[in-house]
Amino acid sequence: MPGMKRAAGRVYAWLERRLQLAAPVKDAVLHPVPRNTASWWYVFGSAAFTLLFLQIFTGILLALVYVPSAGEAWNSLNVLNHQIPLGWFLRALHGWGSNFMVAIVLIHMAQVFLFGAYKFPRELTWILGVFLLLMTLGMAFSGQVLRFDQDAYWGLGIGASIVSRVPWIGGGLVHLLLGGPIIAGATLSRFFTLHVFVIPGAMLLSAFLHVWMVLKLGINEWPMPGRLVSRATYVDQYNQLTHEDGLPFVPGAFWKDLVFSGAILAAVAVCAFVFGPYGPGGQPDPSIIQTVPKPDFFFLWIYTVLSYLPPAMETPFILIAPIAGIAILLALPFYASEGEKSWHRRPVAVLVVTTVAVCWAVLTQLGTTTPWSPHMSAWSSDPIPVSRLHALTPLARAGAVVLQAKQCRNCHSIGGLGGERGPALDDVATRMTMDQLRFKVVTGGGNMPAYGKNLSPPEIEALVTFLETLHPANEPPAYDPAQQQAIEAAQPSGSAP
Amino acid sequence: MRCVAVGLAAWLAVILAGCRLAPGHPPDPDSRPDQVLDFATLYDQNCAACHGRNGQNGPAIDLGNPEYQALIDDASLRKWIANGMPGTEMPAFAQSAGGMLTDAQVDVLVAGMRKAWRAQDAFAGAAPPAYAPAAAGNAGDAQRGQQTYQVRCAGCHKAGGEDIASSTYLSLVGGQALRSIIIAGRPDIGQPDWQHDAPGGKAVTPLSAQDVDDIVTYLGTLRSAATTTVSAQGGGK
Repeated sequence: MPGMKRAAGRVYAWLERRLQLAAPVKDAVLHPVPRNTASWWYVFGSAAFTLLFLQIFTGILLALVYVPSAGEAWNSLNVLNHQIPLGWFLRALHGWGSNFMVAIVLIHMAQVFLFGAYKFPRELTWILGVFLLLMTLGMAFSGQVLRFDQDAYWGLGIGASIVSRVPWIGGGLVHLLLGGPIIAGATLSRFFTLHVFVIPGAMLLSAFLHVWMVLKLGINEWPMPGRLVSRATYVDQYNQLTHEDGLPFVPGAFWKDLVFSGAILAAVAVCAFVFGPYGPGGQPDPSIIQTVPKPDFFFLWIYTVLSYLPPAMETPFILIAPIAGIAILLALPFYASEGEKSWHRRPVAVLVVTTVAVCWAVLTQLGTTTPWSPHMSAWSSDPIPVSRLHALTPLARAGAVVLQAKQCRNCHSIGGLGGERGPALDDVATRMTMDQLRFKVVTGGGNMPAYGKNLSPPEIEALVTFLETLHPANEPPAYDPAQQQAIEAAQPSGSAP
Repeated sequence: MRCVAVGLAAWLAVILAGCRLAPGHPPDPDSRPDQVLDFATLYDQNCAACHGRNGQNGPAIDLGNPEYQALIDDASLRKWIANGMPGTEMPAFAQSAGGMLTDAQVDVLVAGMRKAWRAQDAFAGAAPPAYAPAAAGNAGDAQRGQQTYQVRCAGCHKAGGEDIASSTYLSLVGGQALRSIIIAGRPDIGQPDWQHDAPGGKAVTPLSAQDVDDIVTYLGTLRSAATTTVSAQGGGK
């Protein structure tokens, strides 16, 4: 045993003589940090770094099986899901790792912003961080494309149509993005290269520089209200603080980073085990039209914004908003490089973060739950509840067939089945009189198309007769009081009991 | 140390063996919609909305009625599914006619309905009128049909809610559909078959083939020319 120890010592000495890494590593490990920054608020950056390595590790394992060709990609993902032991778990780890990474990077950014950590002398650290965020989102999008299912296919289509709106060079950019005029094998190779070589390479380099600057410039001290940053005095003040009230990075602050990163990795594993991998959904074949593509979670808010924007606003918004957003983020450390760091005295900063978070949450919620699309197969697959057909007249029954065959159900549900684009029809007769129903069917209105030209008069009559039966047993259908009065007035007096 | 190793190995074995049972284990991949060849799935996706689950209690004719299945031949059933039924709301489902189903899928639907709903000796020995009229175009006698209708049908289908002798209703139901319902009935909603077509569902004699021809011809004359024309325009999908 002592012999082995001595041999190991000799090998270490041989290596150290040549590499000379001991001193810089010792410097980095033992460099003093302000005591109050050894806080649970300072663990997000290291967690993002840990997740980056989880993604690289799982990504390499996935690349051993994945085939980046338009004909094989979808099949190779199914091989991973079903034929390779725990292949599905590996895919799930990579997918959930990506979700966690985007989330942690955003939280890290919000924390850095609220703690004023982007101010002098850490401007470049922030700017690199902005690029790291963009690269993380780029990885998320290109990863979704590599899944090469229907969501990936149509997501690419939307991406291409966004790019095509750039004035003058839009067509050329689409060609560059897709590797040709259409989504094909070249597109997938292109995104594989981006996802596996280009972006991860740039990301690793940026992440190391980012960490390098954190080590060289020191971890941001806990912001105190009234302690203003000034270019002339900050560095001296910081050094004084770390020497008077500091502790070595390891183990003083490091153990919290370790514990939090471990917890995040465990959370990724639990999510992967419980929720499983993402897709792949249906085959990426544009001739299959039975599909409702949706972007992944972190791009749902864009999907919602684009759905709600008036058409005239789309192109300006798509082209200006992202550039403006990135420009603001990049300009921030130059605009506010000195002054107050504490969020207690930066109400605008707090409001900005809160507003962005609330908007993002609301838009994501809307993107998840709003029934944007009709259920295109409801007309032929969702029966009308039997109780609604019980004791119908022949004409109303024929109207129920018209309702199905003319695909009204794709947008209107009955008994909880069918589309949700329009209102449910369960008690439509209590809301509209027969004349109003007839008028609505013929002329449409709001989001509803006019069916006057697609239905014959008997079809309209039968349909409205059926709709008139859709009311609860204890609630009579709506009627027009004026019409009712006219009918009563026309009746000979004395006929009433 | 050995305990830890054994425990670890056992844990790994459970993970490997039980990974199919993990809540996150992915389901089998979706097959292409045009490669689905399971009758129950195809029926539920394409037919159940109008003809009802299990071929019963839908607004359109009950395909699960054994008498209907015994009455109609494979070729006709296939024709209506593939190309739709003129004069009714039944759309064409075959890709060749603008629908979404392949020929193989239409075959699965026909064979599946036969297997699920055709019963041995559905008519209990009786011989019903033929599925299609004897002469093309329902060449019955309208006047005789009106008399038969008054005697055999009008008892229930009198003016008011149950009236079927209105041009509006008749514009939506083709001659062949009327014929099928008159002969096979609709047991799911209590409509009698040709043997019982009479007030109260108690007939002394079944309707003859001639009677059915006559009634369908009579009802055909009630479709006004105007509504039929519009229906032909608007009804085509």
